[in-house]
Amino acid sequence: MLELISYEPILKGLVVLIIAGFAFPVTGVYLLRMNLLPLRFMLMHGAILGGALSLALEANPMFGTLLTNLVLVLVLISTSRYMKSDPGQLSAFFMVVSISLAFIFIYRFHVPAKETMGLMWGSLYTLSSVEFFSAIGLSLFLFIFQALFRYQLRAIFFNADIASTSGVPESRFYYAVILLTALTVAAAMKLVGALLLDALLLLPALIASYHAKSYKAMMLWASLWGGIFAVSGFFFSILWDLPASSTIALIASVTFLIILIKHKS
Amino acid sequence: MEHSLVVYHNHLPIFSNDEHWLYPLFELETFLKNHSFLVGELLLQDKIAGKAAACLIVRMGFTQCHIGLLSRRAIPVFEKYGVRYSYDQLVDHIQCRTEDLITDKMDLDETYLFLRKRAGRVQGTPLKIEDLTVTISGKQILQNLNLELGRGEQLIVMGENGSGKTTLLKSILGLLPAVSGKIWIGTEVVGTATWQKNRAESGYLNQEVAGVKFPITAAEVVAIGLTGKKISTAERKYQVELAMRKTRSFHLNTKLFHELSGGEKQRVSLARLLCQNARLLLLDEPTSFLDDQAKRELAELLIELSKNEAPTILVVSHDKEWIQFLNWKTLNLAAGTLC
Repeated sequence: MLELISYEPILKGLVVLIIAGFAFPVTGVYLLRMNLLPLRFMLMHGAILGGALSLALEANPMFGTLLTNLVLVLVLISTSRYMKSDPGQLSAFFMVVSISLAFIFIYRFHVPAKETMGLMWGSLYTLSSVEFFSAIGLSLFLFIFQALFRYQLRAIFFNADIASTSGVPESRFYYAVILLTALTVAAAMKLVGALLLDALLLLPALIASYHAKSYKAMMLWASLWGGIFAVSGFFFSILWDLPASSTIALIASVTFLIILIKHKS
Repeated sequence: MEHSLVVYHNHLPIFSNDEHWLYPLFELETFLKNHSFLVGELLLQDKIAGKAAACLIVRMGFTQCHIGLLSRRAIPVFEKYGVRYSYDQLVDHIQCRTEDLITDKMDLDETYLFLRKRAGRVQGTPLKIEDLTVTISGKQILQNLNLELGRGEQLIVMGENGSGKTTLLKSILGLLPAVSGKIWIGTEVVGTATWQKNRAESGYLNQEVAGVKFPITAAEVVAIGLTGKKISTAERKYQVELAMRKTRSFHLNTKLFHELSGGEKQRVSLARLLCQNARLLLLDEPTSFLDDQAKRELAELLIELSKNEAPTILVVSHDKEWIQFLNWKTLNLAAGTLC
């Protein structure tokens, strides 16, 4: 097993997975607490659109997905502000538009379907140096953001109105969180794929919400679970010769089930 | 220099102040709140004391004092509350207008609030609403509404469900834009940049938090009141503890907020407002989800807060029985205006 780690692509994948595994569940807590689950679907579909566009233009798919998600988020924010509509509802519209455009691009530009569908399950071991450092940079930024604004975020997660009346610029944080989520979803798609990114984002946060006894504990546990899933998933995937992303998702799902049953009983 | 007011503990001076009038006593009150002395064991020594000073001394819990120049009007107060007093010189009255303004009808709490207002030491800030009109989805909810509330005053706004009570509170908090009209909190107009800077002066207790399922402890909820304040972790903990003790909820500090009873949640939420140092408290249907016992306890706590901290309080409620128990000034909100 250790022999495999000595290969640069695998080592790169492991390093990113460990750091992202601990960092990305932070956005999972944001998604849960700010009721942004529909937004996540829009970002996943947006990432497929970005990936298809990048493949059509022979550009880097990770940056294509990242850019598309950023554009989508900016359009969503301005539209919801202008129309005074719920961003969650509008995101459903953008989700449909994204996936339809993605398939139009795939069809018109003869993008190999297999490569596009590769976005569904990620490609952990094909990270370029730029992608490697971008994912690590984003993970570190997430940690710093959470550490610096933990009190403001806690107030917003408790109640947006109360946060506002406590002097927290709630709407600024809301948009910052959406933006960070967009970046995280795009990065997570490259690592574990569109279909399995919840294993790194949502499941750790969900599990933590079942047993954490404070906000601080929830953030720490979500991060810890994410790290455990990432590391254990990586090594078990090598041990059993399985895809890393699926193994991570499977371990996260089994843990979720056990914690859920324990919580309910 | 001889101090105006000195307090001794076991013959050792622990507090002194040289200010005039009643200010040394108010400073002493703040000092005692931040220290854990048994007031009954302390000896207070003041240069001059009239009826007003006597009321403050008694209310702080002193049982012994020595006064340089004592007004005869102070003696009944000391004797009524069993304070042992001595003096150097006794006079019929001291030259202080405040003493003349305290009537026999005023009880100790009323006198205390009156003196705090006179000293400009009331936590509350005035609220003024002028011709406020608010529309939601094209429907006019508030129409040319006017309201004036002095610093440290309390008001209950009654009204049926959907009459616009919550809209009124949210407008005051700047959470809903007004079509026309102005709202002043102290000297700041709601919506301006200077108001935004001091936004935490208005504290909000809403109904929605009752349903929060997020894992957050009671102490963390109270600490939300300190969000944005650059203070040390130790100071943060101290402020939270102080606020929770004031609302008798400190024993709940490590418990999850969503596991608390309705009454406990309201105590914790009030502690959050105290921690925030809110000068205007806006309470939206605070008795929702409370049983009779919890309602009574909440009313007692609010009455206590109104006397001790004296913030300006605006409560909206349709709970007639509870409103009667509070016995505060009440206005009815109907057809978008107060009457």
